[in-house]
Amino acid sequence: MLTYAVKRLGLAVAIVSVAMFLLFCMIYLVPGDPASVALGPRATDAMKEALRIKMGLDQPIWIQFWNFFSGAWTGDLGEEVLSGRPVLDVVMEQLPFTLALIAGGISWSVALGIPLGCWAAINRGSFADRLVGLLSVAVIAVPSFVIAIYALLIFAVTLRWLPAIGAGEPGQLGDQLVHLILPSLAVGLGWVGYIARMVRASMLEVLEASHIRTARAFGLPENMITYRYALTIAILPTITLLGVGIGQMLSSAVFAEIVFARPGVGKLVYDAILTRNFPVVTGAVLVTTVIFVLLNLIADLIVGALDPRVRSSF
Amino acid sequence: MNPTKPNGISRRSLLASAGAFGAASVAFPHMAISQDGKILTVRSYSDLQILDPAFRLSLPEDDIIRAIYPPLIEPVSGDTWEWKTVAAASMEQLDDLTIAFTLKENMGFTDGYGQVTAEDVKFSIERIADPANESPYAGDWAALKEVEVKDTLSGLIHLNNKFVPLWTTTLPTPASCILSKKAVEELGGKIGTEPVAQSGQYLLTEWVPKQRTILKRNPDWAHEPGGFEEIHIIPIEDPATAERGFEAGDLDYTWTSVSSLPRLKENPPAGSVVLEKPSLAYVWMGINKDNEALQDVRIRRAIQHAIDREIVVDAAYFGAASVGNGIVAPGLPGSRDAVTYDYDPDKARALLAEAGAEGLSITLDILNQSERLTAAQVIQANLADVGIACEIKQNDSGTFWSLGSKDGDYFMNLQLVLSRFSMQPDPSWATVWFTPEQVGVWNWERFDDAEYKALHDEGLVESDPVKRDEIYKRMQALMDESGCYVFLTHEVVGAIHKDTIEPGLKPNGESLLSDFKPA
Repeated sequence: MLTYAVKRLGLAVAIVSVAMFLLFCMIYLVPGDPASVALGPRATDAMKEALRIKMGLDQPIWIQFWNFFSGAWTGDLGEEVLSGRPVLDVVMEQLPFTLALIAGGISWSVALGIPLGCWAAINRGSFADRLVGLLSVAVIAVPSFVIAIYALLIFAVTLRWLPAIGAGEPGQLGDQLVHLILPSLAVGLGWVGYIARMVRASMLEVLEASHIRTARAFGLPENMITYRYALTIAILPTITLLGVGIGQMLSSAVFAEIVFARPGVGKLVYDAILTRNFPVVTGAVLVTTVIFVLLNLIADLIVGALDPRVRSSF
Repeated sequence: MNPTKPNGISRRSLLASAGAFGAASVAFPHMAISQDGKILTVRSYSDLQILDPAFRLSLPEDDIIRAIYPPLIEPVSGDTWEWKTVAAASMEQLDDLTIAFTLKENMGFTDGYGQVTAEDVKFSIERIADPANESPYAGDWAALKEVEVKDTLSGLIHLNNKFVPLWTTTLPTPASCILSKKAVEELGGKIGTEPVAQSGQYLLTEWVPKQRTILKRNPDWAHEPGGFEEIHIIPIEDPATAERGFEAGDLDYTWTSVSSLPRLKENPPAGSVVLEKPSLAYVWMGINKDNEALQDVRIRRAIQHAIDREIVVDAAYFGAASVGNGIVAPGLPGSRDAVTYDYDPDKARALLAEAGAEGLSITLDILNQSERLTAAQVIQANLADVGIACEIKQNDSGTFWSLGSKDGDYFMNLQLVLSRFSMQPDPSWATVWFTPEQVGVWNWERFDDAEYKALHDEGLVESDPVKRDEIYKRMQALMDESGCYVFLTHEVVGAIHKDTIEPGLKPNGESLLSDFKPA
């Protein structure tokens, strides 16, 4: 297990390094002068040049990359272009909102997806099974921003049950949770379909397995067979799927954060790209990449711990 | 200001919130923040980035800065461009080169920095004007010689030369906001996002990045108080999101997109008032005269004649905006009723044939916004009608605003570009961007005319409104003549507010937070 964990960790570090190098290359190719955008129309040439030097844009790309990475290892992600605030602080202020949004999205997808998948598997071929299949495909097919806009129009604008914008009063958990309901639904609803489909398929496979047949032969209650013996095995692929899903939820979070005017890393990166605030772009992408890779690593380690075949095949 | 930790939750507050959440979500499905009428919640299109009057970046910052660091004077809310005193008890132009001011008594800085004095006025103004400080707003005080302190509360502003826009675009802006000399010097000369030594009608008490800024009434402000106990400013970049927020009851006031105006006017949400204000902004299609394909003035003239401006504006703004005939908005000296070369497709075809440019293929660069795209598509159809193939190229804002820069590598390939500039209530603010020294900076058409430059300089010192009107009309005629411009519109500004408040707005719809009041 230790060898497996070390190999997976090495792979994770390599993925982060390659991702950041690609990001740097892409930033280098993006047209537009960050100093002009940041300083506005009234800035003089001298002011723009001074800002370019301050941002390190006068240096070759490999030096910029080295400076960034050497700083990142010590937790220094640079400073925001205009306010001079540390990028790490700026990102960390926004990160809890995005993590809360993704956690909310996962909660929706797990809370609805797993029972629906089980229900469909148990009632294989029935009307309920076909209905769940239809709904699953439907919610997978609809983009999250469409769900976000309709959820907002129905529950916030028309019914006025839930707030339309913001993340709630700082320090008031109840208010923050209320503000989380619609955005997290928008982010997580598509994954209800994925998880329901995955759990159904997995359950059907496990329910045919010999140990389940043996359990039935011993006369164990059907609920115990389904939820204690079948579901615990059938849920394993779902953990891996969620690890991948977090990456997609991060991208969906950008739309949700814009539509619901929520703070968060997605919106931070979006705004920073538009204003060519490159230190914030690189810092925020690094942090989210590390989180994404870390969560996948954890998911793989859990699966590896539960299934020795995975460890031996790596 | 140190941003408040958004998740500083104690065990006690967690339990209290959880309990309250359960009860409140049943009893009050949706609670608006400003139900008690003491809190005003407004949207701004960008978050706070800097609180320094010398380095401010956006209009929302202007509003906050004016509220916490009072300017000598500020615009009056309403439909005409007038000013009123704020920090000044009196302001008087003694002659072309001298302005006398006297400050109100009983104005003090917070944090123990004492009384607001004429010495602070001198420091604040000269700090912006001093080239060594590299303020982008140094041009506002380009005519300044010095500020002379007469006594604690009064002084004289001496100018090197007459500067007519001083009373319209310098003094009523944050360029006359008063900072504490002692506090700023202690900070090393610059203010970031942490306000010190505030002295205005409101105090900035909380800034949570990307979430909100809170202003509270200054308890030590001894003059006309602000209309609300608190103003909550919520940064929302997307106007459609802000409109949904308003309709859901989360906002008391917001700007709207122009495209939403017809819908909102026809069917306003209950308890709301929809406003439509004339904008000072100007939108035009620029034609780069130095581009190889467009160097012949007959081709540029053909493009001017090819565009049906009425249709373009109607389509892009859903009938809410009218056609503009220049860069100077109606109501200001130099505003025009017509352009020299208007829609005439037959003439356009003839000019193209004369220039041997049939089958011309060109590119139109635009910012990736829906109004611009619609306008560009109509322009594309107009150009196709006279035999010009036009490809539309959409750019994000970061790319777009660098397209014509001489520092980049695209400025000579730029052919047609759809642009929009905002401005202040003086025509010189519009004309300044098209002078020869702006070629490759903001003059992307590379229009280069010595007479235009001379007229621009003349307009800055001419105080006779009739003569100024002639000067700025002539300048726009020169722009027409160059074949580099197709003037489209000045747009409109849309806003919506609850009928329980009375918004304080400049004539062009920009907000004056301190002037918002309960209805």
